[in-house]
Amino acid sequence: MSHSGSSQSFADEVKAIPGGEFVELCFSCGTCVSKCMIQQKLEPEYNPRRLLRMVIMDMKEDAFDSPTTWLCSACDLCYPACPQQIHISGVITAVKEIAVEQGGKTTLKTAAVDQQTCVSCGLCAEACPYEAISLVQTKVPYRGLVQVAQVDPGKCMACGLCSAVCRSTSIGVPDDYTDKALMENLWDWLQPEGVTF
Amino acid sequence: MVDAARQPRIDVRTYTEVEKVEGFVGNFKVTLREKAKHVLADRCNGCGDCAKVCPVEVPNYFEMNLAPRKAAYVPMSQSVPLIYNIDLDACIHCYKCVEACGPLEAIDFSQEDKLVEEDIGAIIVATGFSHFDPSVMEEYGYSRYPNVITSMEMERLNNSAGPTAGNLIRPSDHKNPKRLAFINCVGSRDKRYNPSCSNFCCMYSIKNAVLLKQMNPDVDITIYYMDIRTPSKGYEEFYDRARELGIHFTQGRPSMITEDKETHNLFVHSEDITLGKVIEEEYDMVMLNQAAIPQPDQDHMSSVLNVAQSPGGWFMEYHPKLRPMDSPTDGIFFAGACQGPKDIPSSVAQGSAAASRASRILNSEKWEIEPTVAVVWPERCSATTRGRACGICAKACPYGAINIFSPEIPAEVVTAKCHGCGACVAECPEDAITQLHYTDAQILAQMRALLADKPEEKILAFRCHWCSYGGADLAGTSHFEYTANERGMRVMCSARMDTDFIYEAYRLGAGAVLYSGCHPQDCHYITGQLIGAKRAERLKKMFERMEMTDGRFRVEWISAAEGDKYARVLNEMQTVLDNMDKDELRAEIERLKPDMEKRLKKFPNVPGVSESMAYSDTLVSAINTQKKEPA
Repeated sequence: MSHSGSSQSFADEVKAIPGGEFVELCFSCGTCVSKCMIQQKLEPEYNPRRLLRMVIMDMKEDAFDSPTTWLCSACDLCYPACPQQIHISGVITAVKEIAVEQGGKTTLKTAAVDQQTCVSCGLCAEACPYEAISLVQTKVPYRGLVQVAQVDPGKCMACGLCSAVCRSTSIGVPDDYTDKALMENLWDWLQPEGVTF
Repeated sequence: MVDAARQPRIDVRTYTEVEKVEGFVGNFKVTLREKAKHVLADRCNGCGDCAKVCPVEVPNYFEMNLAPRKAAYVPMSQSVPLIYNIDLDACIHCYKCVEACGPLEAIDFSQEDKLVEEDIGAIIVATGFSHFDPSVMEEYGYSRYPNVITSMEMERLNNSAGPTAGNLIRPSDHKNPKRLAFINCVGSRDKRYNPSCSNFCCMYSIKNAVLLKQMNPDVDITIYYMDIRTPSKGYEEFYDRARELGIHFTQGRPSMITEDKETHNLFVHSEDITLGKVIEEEYDMVMLNQAAIPQPDQDHMSSVLNVAQSPGGWFMEYHPKLRPMDSPTDGIFFAGACQGPKDIPSSVAQGSAAASRASRILNSEKWEIEPTVAVVWPERCSATTRGRACGICAKACPYGAINIFSPEIPAEVVTAKCHGCGACVAECPEDAITQLHYTDAQILAQMRALLADKPEEKILAFRCHWCSYGGADLAGTSHFEYTANERGMRVMCSARMDTDFIYEAYRLGAGAVLYSGCHPQDCHYITGQLIGAKRAERLKKMFERMEMTDGRFRVEWISAAEGDKYARVLNEMQTVLDNMDKDELRAEIERLKPDMEKRLKKFPNVPGVSESMAYSDTLVSAINTQKKEPA
């Protein structure tokens, strides 16, 4: 941990991004942590209070390495509970934005687009709760310059909503959560008799 | 309390409301509403026979509704004076009480509220505080879970005179709780409800914990806190004692309380900040230490007494450090939590201070005030000239010292209420008010003398008496070097710095003008600085539109401790002038002159101003000729 002597501290960077303005109001009461479902159900190391503290204490590297930066789903359970009325997910999103800008990579498997089949209908972009999908002109092998969906891995939270709305099965969270993998899991679970693929 | 009631010169009026307060220091006329008790005070001997026979039971407010009282009641057994009261909202008119009272004949159902007017010399306000209702914080489940109680309910439950005779039981099953949690800062230090700290709750929860632990060492008590604040003498030692007794302190604000439906035990969810882990602990009973908030009728009282409120709703003191027991209105004082949450020692100290302040008034034949009061020229007021009083002066006055009784009658300054800031004088669009010792003519004469010679080289600095004048003084005594071209002008408050003065300064050819006063929260005249600041902003924008060189008009708030800032600001202003070409500056002054003259058209009509102009013109020319012909 070190206080860098640079004119713009990490906290200043975060405060410059809309949503991160009030980070320094945090007095570390811990209400957000005990509200958080991700902390309690998924990742014990996840701790919004500590992330805010890291921002205030200029601990950039630690913040980028913290799972808190990458796992917040912006459910905002903590926001109405915060006595200082800090929009905590807004601060975390701001940290994430800076992290992505400076080469940080999310630990999540973010959504991927099959550029060969995407028809650029825009349903996924509309559905995405994190505004991570945009439609862009891209050179696609065998198809030439066409418009396809593009996922911003800095914003994607791997919820899979895009995959659920996509009509051409062109977008989705890879590996364990593709349509095919999910269907196979479902069949295994139901164990239908006499049905074979 | 009994002693106070027995003192022949103390008149205790209970069940009485203040309806109206008129007048000023030493001469208040107060209208009181003595509410009907339906019991004759001179006949009731407090025997309580009426309450014994009364068949009606309603919740007892004094016991935090944990016990009943009758419709014939006294608020508490130690009430002074001990006179019973019939609660007509609950009474079923069975008249058993009248029978029980017998030959005393103290009960009178025909009694009505009585309005009495009293001559009062000084007023001490000691209306106390109220409690935040934690049922609005759903996460803590107060009013849903029977075993979540407030600190005031706890106070009654462990009081030996309380409904359980000091036996602490939990409401759900009347068993003695073994595991207790106290939660601090419920509704305080919380921007959703009350952003401020309630001052005494830390000590209060420690006190309750120590009390319970001393009565029964087997109980397990945990205090959940954000910060423990024990700043006064002996407080930290008390906190230490609580730790020695084995009371647990957990740093972390609980986010939620859940309940076991069967046992009604409670689970407190919080992060233990020291461990960095989320914990969930089971308790038999939880006490919420709720915030102290202003009384529900504090707004009403503030308008009755004509005293302002601080942010948060508490009554506002004259000065937070130097006069914490005085209200801005002379002759009205505060004692205790009505002025802000405070604990018993501070309340007692403030009460004694208020009493001694009030006795100064009661024991003096005459009351001296500042001589710099405002005076109205009734013939110039818009009520006389146009038949309609504009009311701008009354709005500007931070003390409510200006009366406008009807639009046709000129404004009237209540001299005893005026503190002499001069806000009304500068704000009056008709120049119909003047301030003694700081009249327009006097200030003008000073300005003319200061700008007599080579005005374009001078920096005219308007300073307020309390802050920036002190700042300039400090710069001098500290030997901070600043430009010798500064010419200081003192007025009582930045609110007195009339736009006319600034125009006149530029008309006379001043190089630069500084407009300085106290920092916004430090104004000696409550809101005087705000009025001055608003005007300064207006001037700044106007000069921008006139394309005056940036920096020739400067607005700065400088405290009496900021001598360095005063010197720095002046030096910066000097640099602005130094960087300007002399001819360019002169050309700019000449260019703006007609505009300033236009704005000053009405100024010479102000009584005394044209005489002052003529007189100072002779003086100025005399000074100038004297300089040219050295003796």
